[in-house]
Amino acid sequence: MIVDAVSRSALRWFAAAALFVAPWMATAAPAAFDLREVAPGVFVHLGKPLALDAPGHDDIANIGFIVGTRCVAVIDTGGSVRIGRALRAAIRRRTPLPICYVINTHVHVDHVLGNFAFAEDHPSFVGHAALAAALARSREFFLRQYTDDFEAPATPAQIIAPDRGVETMLDLDLGDRHLTLRAWPKAHTDCDLTVFDEKTATLWTGDLLFRERLPALDGSVKGWLAALDVLARMSVKLVVPGHGGIAHDLAAALAPERRYLQALVDGVRSEIAQGKPIDDAMAHVGTAEKSHWLLWDSTHAHNVARAYQELEWE
Amino acid sequence: MNKQFQRSCIVVARELVRLALAALVVLSPAALAVGEVQSPPSGAWGSLRPQLYGDREIGVVDEKFMSIEAPANTPDPSATPLTLRFGAQAVGKIKQVRLIIDNNPSPLAATMQLKPGVPVDEIDLRVRIDRFTSVRAIAETGDGRLEMRSTWVKASGGCSAPPSASDGGTLGEIRFRPSADATALQMSIRHPNNSGFQIDPRTGDAIPPHYISHMRVSAGGQIVMDVDSGISLSENPTLRIATSTPLAMPVTLEATDLPTLAHYSATWERGADASAKSGGSR
Repeated sequence: MIVDAVSRSALRWFAAAALFVAPWMATAAPAAFDLREVAPGVFVHLGKPLALDAPGHDDIANIGFIVGTRCVAVIDTGGSVRIGRALRAAIRRRTPLPICYVINTHVHVDHVLGNFAFAEDHPSFVGHAALAAALARSREFFLRQYTDDFEAPATPAQIIAPDRGVETMLDLDLGDRHLTLRAWPKAHTDCDLTVFDEKTATLWTGDLLFRERLPALDGSVKGWLAALDVLARMSVKLVVPGHGGIAHDLAAALAPERRYLQALVDGVRSEIAQGKPIDDAMAHVGTAEKSHWLLWDSTHAHNVARAYQELEWE
Repeated sequence: MNKQFQRSCIVVARELVRLALAALVVLSPAALAVGEVQSPPSGAWGSLRPQLYGDREIGVVDEKFMSIEAPANTPDPSATPLTLRFGAQAVGKIKQVRLIIDNNPSPLAATMQLKPGVPVDEIDLRVRIDRFTSVRAIAETGDGRLEMRSTWVKASGGCSAPPSASDGGTLGEIRFRPSADATALQMSIRHPNNSGFQIDPRTGDAIPPHYISHMRVSAGGQIVMDVDSGISLSENPTLRIATSTPLAMPVTLEATDLPTLAHYSATWERGADASAKSGGSR
């Protein structure tokens, strides 16, 4: 009885306290923004393996920044202005240096919607030469589908396109530190860009490399496999993938994705050769890969459909 | 939306209406409204039904007569596979099937005229889905019976999706792909089938509509099927038909392109290369 009464009064106390505390916590104390320094001056926030329509979907990509002696370069900004602001706050806790570059590795929403959080820093926004056009055609869709991930009221101007487009290669100097940006032919998307930090031999692959999370195909499966061949020959000490954990051995980190994409190509070619339609291919191709990947159900059929349409005209 | 983009949308809208007038058969002022770009309708069926079928009775329950299938969460909004299957009561007796995608800017995706007596038991098409929508097929038999089936498709952005990795190639190239058991034949035309809602990545401007407006399939010298189509068909329009007995040989696919009025055609004979290619002709 006594216990009961105590617990009830405790409950009442908690309920009353929650009324005052909860709203304050929601606005002033966001969940801790995980950030790790994976190499000297190289900071990464790891995204979570969540679906694109799940709560927390704005925080699924690996994002971060690199600090030179002169200034800071941000690499991808997260899937909402909120995540972009959290990244910016994390930078401000680490360094007072100005943010001179915001680099986007490609057009997908989870990598670009945080750009607006950096507008006040007046950085140069840098991306693949095809990124601006890709953003232009995605703008309406982002506004409609991800309204709550903008700063209210959502406006198209919050989707900031690059002022500098990379055709092949670009060197950025952060002060005693050079980044090499490389633009790729159509692979994961039509605007993939990688960033190499010479000082620590760290490669940011963008979504040319998915680990754990199933790769999503929006460009060209043949182009992607060709890009993996080139990547595998690069000499790097550390790899920051677009999704999934940090790796040290690049060739080993690329292997599962290569295996999946090759299974996609082989399976789809076989279905096409047998005169099977695209929906049959979705049901049959690559099923042995399923146990190796997260978020299979939301992405695999899409990948098969894209690969089929690419390969049926070989 | 910036002003330039708005302007190009309006130009596209005007162009679409002009092309629709030139190309489609049954458009009344009410239907022109559903072709407008700025305010895609919800439930175009409400206005299309009286135009297309008046107050005729339409059966809606007999799954054995006809069924329609599409992935509920479409993996690719710009190429959603649709499958129509016909039961024993329907095979050889259907003279027309209309395919309507309620919430697409151009809802009447295809009108297919079938030659009575040809034992078509399945038709597959790939379509663009602009936003969550009902997709419905209405079949009419030779004796005037109407049957409708519909399905709900969750997808968006299919009309404005950029060209896929297979864009390019020879415009109008036609490929035939028979199934291993020879009961089905997939026919594809290399063509962007631009919807008018896509953006040119190089200029940032809207790409004008450019699409296959008509396809004709003939087998053994007889017309099997005529299809009036439009911007709701996917890039590289694809038509697959399955028959309970193999089609007579040879099979010819002819196609017409708007606005150029170019004509493409190719003929295929069984026993040729399994993935036969045929160059299109203009």
